[in-house]
Amino acid sequence: MPETIEIQLKKGVLALCVLALLSHADSYAYEIASRLTRDIDMGEGTIYPLMRRMQSDGLVETYLVESQSGPPRKYYRLTTAGRQSLEQQKAEWSAFSRAVNDIVGAAA
Amino acid sequence: MNRAEFITRLRRGLAGLPVTTIADIVADHEAHFADAQAAGRSEAETAAALGDPDRLARELRAENGLKQWEEKKNPSNALAAVLALLGLGALDVMFLLPLLMGVLGVLFGMLVAVVTIFIAGGFVFAAGPLTGPPGGPLTAFLAGLGMMGVATCLGALLTLATVGVFNAVVWYARLHFRLLKPAMDQA
Repeated sequence: MPETIEIQLKKGVLALCVLALLSHADSYAYEIASRLTRDIDMGEGTIYPLMRRMQSDGLVETYLVESQSGPPRKYYRLTTAGRQSLEQQKAEWSAFSRAVNDIVGAAA
Repeated sequence: MNRAEFITRLRRGLAGLPVTTIADIVADHEAHFADAQAAGRSEAETAAALGDPDRLARELRAENGLKQWEEKKNPSNALAAVLALLGLGALDVMFLLPLLMGVLGVLFGMLVAVVTIFIAGGFVFAAGPLTGPPGGPLTAFLAGLGMMGVATCLGALLTLATVGVFNAVVWYARLHFRLLKPAMDQA
């Protein structure tokens, strides 16, 4: 299974990516899923359990926006707790990736 | 698989959850299909990109089970959470089952002991004074009351211990669950 490490890495950073996307602009699930699928090749269905978990953990909240076509669309935005979590995870991620880069770079 | 099939299988997999929760989840996926269609994708493409609806339903059920248990600690929620996690494979059954059986066995044994002490206490309390015991009827009467009090006290402690055990199981499962979770259709 050569893809294992890649999957593990993606799993770990998925929530961080969603928080970061939402910190730039509120968004809806399809948009978030398309972005993540395009950039880091995640399964689209992953987004719904993830968003529900983040919502029940109080990291994001939803609101409805009327749309011209079809039913109102559900948008997600970060809560204060979500912003705090983003800052914390961002710091962890940059420290971790810097350390890994140093090691991998030095070994090469 | 087309949209209707996907939604049907998802709905079937979610059966048993609160109606509003199911409606919410189904609406999310319906909206996904609608957005995908607007972007020019076929239903079959979208369904394939979403992944296996049975697996998705198990994920969503497990998430819901944990939330219920965290909100309200009662035996049926504990059972539901553990079953949902087992369905997801987040609990390593081979490792955990013998351990869990042992712990549950001990808890059950203690429950039996507590109930026995309570009944014996009741018996001493009610019948003791009539049999001319050493120390007089009042001693037997008070001893019976004491035994029932001790049993009640132990019962309360036992309940606390049981809640603690289930919390530990949920904590353990959640550790694994969080790692498993996002990779579901890559597996």
